[in-house]
Amino acid sequence: MSTYTIPVGPLHVALEEPMYFRVEVEGETIVGLELTAGHVHRGIEYLAMKRNIYQNLTLLERVCSLCSNNHPFTYCMALEKIAGIQIPERAEYLRVIADEIKRIASHLFNIAMLAHIIGFDSLFMHVMELREIVQDIKETIYGNRMDLAANCIGGVRYDLSEEKIKYLARQLDNLKKPLEEITRIYMNNKFVRARTEGVGILPKDEALRYGVVGPVARGSGINNDVRVKSPYAAYDKLKVNVQVETGCDVKARALVRLREIQEAINIIQHCLKEIPDGPTCIDYLPEIPAGEAVAKSEAPRGELIYYLRTNGSDIPERIKWRVPTYMNWEALKVMMPGNKVADIPLIINSIDPCISCTER
Amino acid sequence: MVRNIQEEFTEKLTRALGAEFSLRWERNSKGVVTGWCRLHDHRHITTVALIVASLGGRVITITAYKTKDDQQRDSHEIAYHFDLDGCTCTVTIEVPGDSGKVNSITPILKSADWTERELQELYGIKVVGHPNPKRLFLDDTIDEGIMNDFIPLSIAMQGATSKTLWEKVLAATSQEGEVK
Repeated sequence: MSTYTIPVGPLHVALEEPMYFRVEVEGETIVGLELTAGHVHRGIEYLAMKRNIYQNLTLLERVCSLCSNNHPFTYCMALEKIAGIQIPERAEYLRVIADEIKRIASHLFNIAMLAHIIGFDSLFMHVMELREIVQDIKETIYGNRMDLAANCIGGVRYDLSEEKIKYLARQLDNLKKPLEEITRIYMNNKFVRARTEGVGILPKDEALRYGVVGPVARGSGINNDVRVKSPYAAYDKLKVNVQVETGCDVKARALVRLREIQEAINIIQHCLKEIPDGPTCIDYLPEIPAGEAVAKSEAPRGELIYYLRTNGSDIPERIKWRVPTYMNWEALKVMMPGNKVADIPLIINSIDPCISCTER
Repeated sequence: MVRNIQEEFTEKLTRALGAEFSLRWERNSKGVVTGWCRLHDHRHITTVALIVASLGGRVITITAYKTKDDQQRDSHEIAYHFDLDGCTCTVTIEVPGDSGKVNSITPILKSADWTERELQELYGIKVVGHPNPKRLFLDDTIDEGIMNDFIPLSIAMQGATSKTLWEKVLAATSQEGEVK
């Protein structure tokens, strides 16, 4: 059978952001893949080294929309390490709450896209309707549907009143039953199973070799959740049950995300019960001495790392961050071969790609 | 007994390099251990990569940056951030100023692939032996080593806060004044 090359992207109906895939096919079967990135490279790393450390808080929240909270969060942790700042305990809990809310919304979006790609649009609408509850939570508590602006150096910029705690607990309860129903559909519905089982296989040894992170790794049986492996904020006081699946396929990755939503709800509810009283932020504008630090957090897509070098001035000498999706792209070269052309968008979606994040 | 990966790493590194490196481990209030290592000879990075691979570790990312050497000349350093079962160990080397070349560790650790390509195009550091050294993000028309150049912020932001923007703002406010 003769081999053909199909260009997918950079602009494609199933991709929200631009990425170019050069797919080699034999008949309808994929045999090879080449990736070309760089279509939304914005030079944010360069910009971040031209602004001062306080301005960067705002800039970094705009690297990505779905994991926007993790960027300023992790950046603040790196600064706090260099300056030796211990943030108030209440702020640690509030940081966890903000992060888990973002995780629920991000995972629901990816789960919804899966349904859309396989043509199950009623399910897509159903999941997006559920996500709207989380969007309402964000708007009510933080005043914004995407960028929460929750973090600042030395703590957080928001607080939860008794009234808001009650509201948040009630809204989380509203998520539970529909979430169970959706999880059942993703597990048992024969159309969903036919499209997701055994598709886009990433064996565990390959997942380790490529160094993939987040739900992509956990769908292949690797437990590398940063919240447990190297705890930060209040995660050392909270119990996080890491969700690991061994299916190694599109379905396993979707199930990891669905279960992580459930887990995130539990974590937030636990936080709401345990959250101590006290200040939410240090009461001075800190000066950052010269030094270097790394900080890591578990973003919705996996491990996010910040490496920061300062020289005592308020302009950072070097800020480098690596987003989770960055590690997951190359693994598509393992997932794709052997699958059908119709599965290309589905497999790409299963790594929950974030392109503006990758290219910065 | 719980395996202490930091001890294993230190032991293997000492056996391979003798006194050709400095290494310290930090433990924070949450019990998270972070390692900071500096190699005296940049060529030893492949040895470190082999040790990381033997311990089942991976590359989290690699940071290149501009700095000054002992004689206050511009130079580059590269910080390799390795993951050893959840513990981050940063290994730093100095890029030799005369050649600007370092050995690629991608043949040993696949997880270094993209990040080596990226630092090559952004800083113009040659990564020798990379299996796929082509451009990652930047177009071929853009010069290599763009991160070494000075670009004014207004141009870097593509004129988003340039004179043109302020002219528009001023024009709009003066029109408001006329209406009153």
